[in-house]
Amino acid sequence: MSRDPLDRLLEELRLREAQARTRRHFIRQCTTGMGGLALSGFLASCQLNPTESLTAQTGKGPSKRDLNPLAPLPPPFAPRVKSVIYLHMAGSPSQLEMFDYKPELAKLHNQACPQSLLQGKKFAFIRGTPKLLGPQARFEQVGESGNWVSDNLPHFKKVADEVAFLKAVHTDQFNHGPAQLFMHTGTPRLGRPSIGAWVTYGLGSENQNLPGFVVLTSGGKNPSAGKSVWGSGFLPSVYQGVQCRSKGDPVLYLEDPKGLSRDLKKSTIEAINKINQAEYAQYADPEILARINQYEMAYRMQLAVPEVMNINDEPQEVRDLYGVAPGQESFANNCLLARKLVEQGVRFVQLFDWGWDSHGTDPSTAIDLGLRNKCREIDRPITALLLDLKQRGLLEQTLVVWGGEFGRTPMQENREGKEMGFLGRDHHGDAFTMWLAGGGIRKGACHGATDEIGFAGMEGRVSVHDVHATMLHLLGFDHEQFTFDFQGRPFRLTDVQGEVIKEILA
Amino acid sequence: MALRTSHTFLALPLFSLLLLGCGQGKPVDFATEVQPILNKHCITCHGGVKKNGGISFLFQEEALAEGKSGRRAIVPGDAHGSEVIRRLLDDDPGQRMPFEKPPLSKAEIDLLKRWIDQGAPWGKHWAYIAPEPVEVPRLPQQAGLVNLENNFIRNDIDPFILARLQDTGMTPNEPAPKEVLARRLALDLTGLPPRQAWLEAYTAGQISYEALVDTLLAQPSFGEKWAGWWLDLARYADSKGYEKDNGRSMWRYRDWVIRAFNDDMPYDRFTLEQLAGDLLPNPTREQLIATGFHRNTMNNDEGGTEDEEFRVASVLDRVNTTFQVWQSTTMECVQCHTHTYDPFRHSEYYSAMAFFNNAMDEDTPHEDPVLKFYGDKEQQSAAAIQSWILKQGRPEAAQQFKNFLLYNEPLYQVHHAKNFVNGELSDTKYLSLWPGGSCHYDHIYTGGAPNLYLKYWSYHNGTVMTLRKDNEAGEILARFPIDKTQGEVIRKIPFAVVTDSIRLFIQAENPDLPGQTGTSYISWFAFLPDLPGEGQPGYAQIEQSFQELLNAETPSVPIVIENPDYMRRTTRVFERGNWLTPADTVDPATPAILNPWKAEWPNNRLGFAQWLASPENPLTARTIVNRVWHQLFGIGLVSTLEDMGSQSDPPTHPALLDWLALRLMNENGWHLKALIKDMVLSGTYRQRSESSPEQYAADPENRLYARGPRLRLSAEQIRDQALAVSGLLSPKMYGPSVMPPQPDGVWQTVYSNEAWIESQGEDRYRRGLYTYIKRTSPYPSFLSFDAGSREVCTVRRTVTNTPLQALVTLNDPVYLEAAYHLALEMQQAGTAEKAIAEGYRRAVFKELEADKKLALSELYAASLAAFQSDQEALDDFMGLGRHPDPELAALAVVANAILNLDEFITKS
Repeated sequence: MSRDPLDRLLEELRLREAQARTRRHFIRQCTTGMGGLALSGFLASCQLNPTESLTAQTGKGPSKRDLNPLAPLPPPFAPRVKSVIYLHMAGSPSQLEMFDYKPELAKLHNQACPQSLLQGKKFAFIRGTPKLLGPQARFEQVGESGNWVSDNLPHFKKVADEVAFLKAVHTDQFNHGPAQLFMHTGTPRLGRPSIGAWVTYGLGSENQNLPGFVVLTSGGKNPSAGKSVWGSGFLPSVYQGVQCRSKGDPVLYLEDPKGLSRDLKKSTIEAINKINQAEYAQYADPEILARINQYEMAYRMQLAVPEVMNINDEPQEVRDLYGVAPGQESFANNCLLARKLVEQGVRFVQLFDWGWDSHGTDPSTAIDLGLRNKCREIDRPITALLLDLKQRGLLEQTLVVWGGEFGRTPMQENREGKEMGFLGRDHHGDAFTMWLAGGGIRKGACHGATDEIGFAGMEGRVSVHDVHATMLHLLGFDHEQFTFDFQGRPFRLTDVQGEVIKEILA
Repeated sequence: MALRTSHTFLALPLFSLLLLGCGQGKPVDFATEVQPILNKHCITCHGGVKKNGGISFLFQEEALAEGKSGRRAIVPGDAHGSEVIRRLLDDDPGQRMPFEKPPLSKAEIDLLKRWIDQGAPWGKHWAYIAPEPVEVPRLPQQAGLVNLENNFIRNDIDPFILARLQDTGMTPNEPAPKEVLARRLALDLTGLPPRQAWLEAYTAGQISYEALVDTLLAQPSFGEKWAGWWLDLARYADSKGYEKDNGRSMWRYRDWVIRAFNDDMPYDRFTLEQLAGDLLPNPTREQLIATGFHRNTMNNDEGGTEDEEFRVASVLDRVNTTFQVWQSTTMECVQCHTHTYDPFRHSEYYSAMAFFNNAMDEDTPHEDPVLKFYGDKEQQSAAAIQSWILKQGRPEAAQQFKNFLLYNEPLYQVHHAKNFVNGELSDTKYLSLWPGGSCHYDHIYTGGAPNLYLKYWSYHNGTVMTLRKDNEAGEILARFPIDKTQGEVIRKIPFAVVTDSIRLFIQAENPDLPGQTGTSYISWFAFLPDLPGEGQPGYAQIEQSFQELLNAETPSVPIVIENPDYMRRTTRVFERGNWLTPADTVDPATPAILNPWKAEWPNNRLGFAQWLASPENPLTARTIVNRVWHQLFGIGLVSTLEDMGSQSDPPTHPALLDWLALRLMNENGWHLKALIKDMVLSGTYRQRSESSPEQYAADPENRLYARGPRLRLSAEQIRDQALAVSGLLSPKMYGPSVMPPQPDGVWQTVYSNEAWIESQGEDRYRRGLYTYIKRTSPYPSFLSFDAGSREVCTVRRTVTNTPLQALVTLNDPVYLEAAYHLALEMQQAGTAEKAIAEGYRRAVFKELEADKKLALSELYAASLAAFQSDQEALDDFMGLGRHPDPELAALAVVANAILNLDEFITKS
């Protein structure tokens, strides 16, 4: 049996790292912290418009943004990364079976939860006095950092040194819909832009043949909060996430209708644009120039999207690395696509994987059975993604974020006060784990800690707003200055809160 | 009464600029001169949110008071002794204001000094003062202007526009050609292109422009077009939102809006019926449906959610939406703190909320209260019950029973249960007691009614439920068996007569069931008296019909109904806007800065609506005028449509805004058709929309109206128009929302079996207004063209350009089908050349010019050549299941291009 491509790549990267340290340092110096090699397009477009930025668009006449709202703009501050891959485990994974090791909780297994913990607390489904539920996984300390990772994630253990853990994230929402909205739009109510929309609005996109903000879903369902978690809220709708699908047209209406060849489509668009040019000569409305540009982009997108969405052309080695399942909707496919997309200059890639709501109502949601399977589904792809990004020099210019919308209780769920057939944990927002990796992130960092049973954050507590502030910071924004006027007042992603989590920055 | 002419108003800022350099004399105006400086430089740190140093410039009494230092920021009449001036001029960077920001200019500081020396007179922002009568400007008779006026000035709107244009040295455009104007007008009034016959009659001079306007205003499609606009404000959708986002049968409200526009219901009436139709005397069924306006708030059915949290969220949304829709005011800011810039206090938010906080709906899965629509036979039964009760001489009872049949209120929702033992709210929704289980409810008032009505279902026989006063040892009020039911039932149960408000203790026993098994699932309970006339012949029949009607399956629509006094909620201020931290109790009241409350208004939601719709309200008429203007001209007279507060963009034509507002209320009796007619009859509206690059650069947003409007059509209009010009559009109005084809797999709903079931027949080609709106997954092609998902009130849609839009109009099967049908029509014209010209004319109502003709002819030739050599391409052409000849296919390609032209998806 040949060696696992993951391990092979891992070894190769270790070697390369030792050799290349000096060289990469040099490159980073020259590109103001952007890192990476594939920057010619980015630099070229910057030079075209060296002074234009979001805050400096007051001049008369059509700006680059008027013609193309996705034209790239430099952020106000030097960025550490230029794109984001956000891996959201919809339903919320149990930190207690993955990263937050609690030996004390094992000792208290099956004991009634102390009343002091329950007072004043609200749970989605736990009623009365639940029992404590010990960790249903084995843990070990891994890598040079010695951070804890459970046996549910054997591959991830090998790359755990790449990431920075946040062990005490908290949210005030404990239902999926509102909590997902909070995690992605900064508020539990509908109507605000998602973080991907904010970022795409602020930075545009590096590749005009692809959408700037792409959404990929797996697990058979969309996230509970629906498309609003990648919506544009009050921002112009051009900044909303575009869902690229594994079945049917990858982007809606992308495919030409039957009987119309590419040549005819080209002729059609040429005719449309010729007439639109005549229209511009008459009306002098730059809106018409934008329309001309829009049709040219659509034509190019029809070629570029199917190309980037096709994983069959990837070498077998790469497909094995991720463990992809061509022709199906899978998290592994989406991880590989995420790499391809950021490689092509897509600004924000949002993955949602459904099926992490481990209540214990049936085997698929049991904390020992279903959760283990879900971990298996993501373990290799996430590890492969981090390694693949790294070997291509992309990890330094990409921010990878992993998490759910909240965490899970150290108590065993007793839905409606009843004993349940399987082991499960209820929703819990007071303390849960997220991790970040990539440019500007301090590798192997571990910030924050929970109490001995993982119920509450004891130190290094960070809020959802803090995570957002940190993400924006790495992209070159001051989250307090990055605003959009709507309904008569400036809005920001972090509302009136949020602090950059300096402890995990390199 | 003081008459304010437009000239003095317009000239005011100009004068003050001149005076800046001149020292004393001219009085400084607070609202237009001082407040902008304070808002820009000071109020962020010294206003509604922060009061650094104890200083705020938001309210007069605060600004004149002593700060923490003991010094007064403003000493009227003494600029020299005012701390604010000293600090603005201080050399010490640690002292000088604005702190760590660039200093104010000398001109700004001099202005503030003069204002303080003049006594620091406070003033109101213009929008908080009711409009005063305005004279139409009389334009100076200049040489050469006579012709211009003849062409341009068509009604009293135009002098206001021309005066401003003359000030800036600009001249208006010529009137647009008739066919261009007719298309613009038809799209604006009905959302559809003009009918061929009207166009011909108008261009041939058989009917006047005004007659064309009147004809279009009388079309049923007028109501559809303007309802589409209103439904964005009303956040109308066909689903409840949040995680489950299940369907909601709300279309009757949508139909009410269409009818209201077509009937030209006066806007004050339109306001009253939507905000308080239920509180009008003897409300009609239509008036109850109108209250659906505020039932468009979302409803969260996700398991584990607390209903009260989302009930409160709905009420907050109603406050925000009401002020957004009627007052151009961002009350949302005041939810958490006193407004940063505008004189609305934190507590005033909650005083306004108190008007809305007493509605019966409580975020329950059934969405009670819902108005039921009985079938004919059932309506006869209901009428028989009514006349029976009236015959007994009991009109008040007749009303009570009628209401209970119509919307099952008043009732108690089960989610208020406390102290569960062996029981729980199942799925956090239904009362479910296990064997030996109990819970209680506080403050239950039966009004002495001898009957309990219970809505519930059960899977098991043999349960006995006991209801007691206070606790398990209390007096038994009712004891009854519960057996297995066929689905959910409403059942009448005898109940002991109690006249006080009680604590109701409920317990369930069932020896045959294992523990932790729900004996039954209860949605709500209610109390009703006996039907009058017991013992008389026919009573049993009446009683039976009543019970049957209650259990009849009926369609319904969610409505707003006010709680009776004994269920009235207390409203409290939420600290930092958080419902979990309630503070002081407040009574209903309207914001002090706006028009005063009149004693004759009832102190409830109806009174609030009357306050909004009163002619003294400074914002209601201005707001609607500004937004209707925006619909027609693409920009508001106040460009910040959402906000007329002190941070808003100043009106470009303030006198015109007020003139229109007053005319709407006085001469036009709040009729929106008259308002719209005024606007479209103006010469301003009728201009050509062309410009040169220089003209465009001089006024890119067309704020001075030297040219006619040119705007991309809305998502719905783009589809409607394509269907209309190809002859596919169905004229069918009203009814349940439809599901035209959309790509597979767009709906992926969590925990719901609801599916997009493609409509058949003409329902595939209905106007976009009737397309089903699922909030978490709206119709994709509308989403691409900037339609929202109707989660919150949308005052305006931001127009964007994305390649995804081009993909929709190029490739969406709806547009392909339209192109094919347009090609069929084109073919009737004869030669290819004629066919192409015909297609273009049908789409954009213009003759095809030479250069455009060349482009389309080349496309036709290329297509024809391609199809002649590729038979396969004609098989199932465009996926339409047709096999056209090469000529028709080539025309369809040309039609596809025409339906994608900028001039087609733009009104100009």
